[in-house]
Amino acid sequence: MRSGPQAADGEIVRAVLAGDRERYARLVERYRDRYARYAARMLGSADAAEDALQDAFVRAFDQLAQCKDPDNFIGWFFLILRNRCFAERRRNRTSASLDAANDVAAEDRTDGGAESAERRRALQLALMELTPDQREVFVLKHVEGLSYNEIAERLSTSVPSLKMRMHRAYDKLREQLRDHT
Amino acid sequence: MSGHEFHPLVKQLLDGDITLADLPPELRGEGEAALRLLAAVDRTDISMPAVTWRVMTTLERRRRRFLPWLLAPALAIAAALVILLRPTPPAPTAALVTVRFVLVAPDAKQVSLAGTFNQWDAQVTPLVRTGATGVWTATLTLPAGQHQYAFVVDGVRWVPDPGAPAVDDGFGRRNSVLTL
Repeated sequence: MRSGPQAADGEIVRAVLAGDRERYARLVERYRDRYARYAARMLGSADAAEDALQDAFVRAFDQLAQCKDPDNFIGWFFLILRNRCFAERRRNRTSASLDAANDVAAEDRTDGGAESAERRRALQLALMELTPDQREVFVLKHVEGLSYNEIAERLSTSVPSLKMRMHRAYDKLREQLRDHT
Repeated sequence: MSGHEFHPLVKQLLDGDITLADLPPELRGEGEAALRLLAAVDRTDISMPAVTWRVMTTLERRRRRFLPWLLAPALAIAAALVILLRPTPPAPTAALVTVRFVLVAPDAKQVSLAGTFNQWDAQVTPLVRTGATGVWTATLTLPAGQHQYAFVVDGVRWVPDPGAPAVDDGFGRRNSVLTL
């Protein structure tokens, strides 16, 4: 059975599990851009983010039968992407920092404001010096705009623990950016 | 507290729990510097349209690679035994034939070929749109023999060649067959 373009995630997941593999493309289209920015900021490179997204969606397809709540496919998928991003950072720390600088430098050329562009570039580099846990909470709150409660729910952790991570991140960023603030 | 740590109230400012006006005057400068740091956060949207194509092509290619082993494990074992038991013949020099593949797909943004000749990899053999008529073509030089293939439209839709015979792939889809 096929339904309209606004079919719920759970309906699509069940259809894919029943053999309609092509409908998985709907889920990929629906969520790829939403998480592209998260992956790019976590990994410091748009290319690495694209690879991570692809791997995460393929892995999610392989494990789709283990998605206990098909209506919350995206919460489950986010954890797969997150694991992939953390593993990638462990493997490839140095080159990601260089890519981060280059990616932001590329934006500078089209942006105009040299000073703010330089500050953005410096911040992106400083973000890559945070631990992945610290960077993640910073990205989810200040790039993705989630509240502490939403982040806590997504990562199955507590708000005080997130705030502790974030406050350490603030101090580390201040130290890294003392010439830019 | 070291000189490189924000004051706890400034951290509350960064968290959005209080405003700059809530800070005592002696912390306003530090608060403003902290807010400048947040203002440098890059929130530009990022779009990655190729991800859909890459994911679906990976899944399809893997399925097709797996298919022969799923359908005919006994045949594969038998073939392996024949190869092992027979003396190795000299490798024949395969004749090469140049073939032009054509698909009319006016609405397509991207068309490629996936088949036995490229390990069902839809990323390596793109077709080129010729003019504005929606005709897509690719010219390949292939070894003589039988090949199976399909066109991949926009990375997600696998369609058999309307101008060639086709066989069932065992999973309800059709592969085109080209005999050279």
